[in-house]
Amino acid sequence: MPHRNCFDPAVETAPREHIRRLQLEKLQKQAVWTYERIPWYRERFRKLGVKPEDIRTLEDVRRLPFTDKQALRDNYPFGLCAVPLDEVLRLHSSSGTTGKPIVIGYSRHDLDVWSDCVARLVVMAGVTRSDRAQMAFGYGMFTGGLGLHYGCEKLGCMIVPAGSGNTERHLMMIEDYQTTVLISTPSYALHMCEIGEKLGFDWANSSLKIGLFGGEPCTPCMKREIESRMRIVCTDNYGLTEVNGPGVAGECLSSRDHQHIAEDHFLWEVLDPATDEPCPEGTEGELVLTLLDKEAFPLLRYRTHDLTRVTTEPCACGRTHARMSKVRARTDDMLIIRGTNIFPRQVEDVLSGIHGVASHYRIILDNESGMDRMTVMVELQPEAFSDSFESMNHFQRHIVDRLRQSLMITPVVRLVEPGSIERTLGKSKRVDDRRVKE
Amino acid sequence: MAVSQISVFLENKPGHLLHILNIFETSGINVRGFSTADTGDYGIARFVVDKPALALEMLRAQSCAAKESEVLCIRLPDRLGELARVIRIFAAAGINVIYSYTLVSNIIAIHTNNHAATEASLKEHSIELVSQDEISAGA
Ligand SMILES: [Zn+2]
Repeated sequence: MPHRNCFDPAVETAPREHIRRLQLEKLQKQAVWTYERIPWYRERFRKLGVKPEDIRTLEDVRRLPFTDKQALRDNYPFGLCAVPLDEVLRLHSSSGTTGKPIVIGYSRHDLDVWSDCVARLVVMAGVTRSDRAQMAFGYGMFTGGLGLHYGCEKLGCMIVPAGSGNTERHLMMIEDYQTTVLISTPSYALHMCEIGEKLGFDWANSSLKIGLFGGEPCTPCMKREIESRMRIVCTDNYGLTEVNGPGVAGECLSSRDHQHIAEDHFLWEVLDPATDEPCPEGTEGELVLTLLDKEAFPLLRYRTHDLTRVTTEPCACGRTHARMSKVRARTDDMLIIRGTNIFPRQVEDVLSGIHGVASHYRIILDNESGMDRMTVMVELQPEAFSDSFESMNHFQRHIVDRLRQSLMITPVVRLVEPGSIERTLGKSKRVDDRRVKE
Repeated sequence: MAVSQISVFLENKPGHLLHILNIFETSGINVRGFSTADTGDYGIARFVVDKPALALEMLRAQSCAAKESEVLCIRLPDRLGELARVIRIFAAAGINVIYSYTLVSNIIAIHTNNHAATEASLKEHSIELVSQDEISAGA
């Protein structure tokens, strides 16, 4: 059995030409499906002067209309639903920071496809049906909770559906039920580390082996920190509510920073965000996804705004599905400060190279003085504290210098107490832009 | 003859000093002297306590940035000119006092650029140093 480590070996290790043939077949069907069933799409096709039968090759996907978050907002709640609502078995939504959320519906077929995709990424992370998975995501409208739940169940794991919060109870469950897999946001895992360490929880000898993280970006340095403190293997996956939730891509143990895309269900494009032209394979651009197997909310060319690179090079694990690099930036999380483009991840990269500061930080932007000012709040770690103002000031200046070299602007660095930057249970709010726009 | 001092990194915000003092109180640690100094953004609070090892352990357990260092504690008679006399000795010996603060009763804690030289100068002038045992016992 060569590919025993796959959930669905025949699909996951299929020859590339086979995958492409299947993708074209499904794309053609999906184009008909959306055109015939969703007036909004039909109108878009008409404006572009394109008909479903114009899709003759995979490259023809470029003739199809884009979909973006705004389309989901404009058609809220059910305008983009392609099946009678009687056939929609479940809704999920993503919390909008302003106004209405994005809502997505799933038919029985969609739920089945989704749990298959999740089961695949769970297996890629090294989970087997003998594992016991402890859920620390919240359930509710968020796709992560039920998504991972049904994926693990499909694989045949025991699930402990504890949900989010109550860290002491989580620790007790790990001990009592001997759970082996933790499903959580990376920041909650860090919070569990801290509480566990305070309570004397024995991470080194605990039953946990694997972390399945999601719900927010898991940076390499968070990953390293959790791996060394919890003594587990941390894995990460990619997905977004608009295209089911988790299950678009997952990391296999042979390719930790590139994640296999479920190509039989998702057609990917990587486009230059400035021109919308395809990027050459392996170069960074915006990931655009077309759902190939979705009945209820079948999105075409969904603009994720996530920046990634995709490679179709063979992977050591034997899977043939293309791999996308971990998303570390979005086309829209770029900050423009005094005319300079800055990604929060640059701050993170600099801080992870400085001994004596934690991986948590916050960026505050203001323009009270008429000019943009960037303040980076950095947690001092106990070992870097000295009793002298002189050496503390020196340390602070050192951080400023390192940031300036990377960012090309001079930030203000504020040292704050260890543990004082909020570890949010959901998405970490790292940037607080208080600038008054004229 | 040096005495243990516990320094803590503190942001200059309401309640932060209290948090440290609560940790001391619940652990039965008696503060015998303290000072705070700040830069506007952050500060350093320094404590002389009766159980320095326990204090450090409790602070670390609460993830505080705390550090143990040494100060010299001098007992001065409560008389006109005594403080000036000590400082004059340091000036004459070229010793730089980096910071100092008073403890309960008539004891002052000093941190200088050279504790060995400071001790020698004080001894030469028969100025009484207070030991850790005395501090812990409630000198
Ligand atoms: Zn692989």
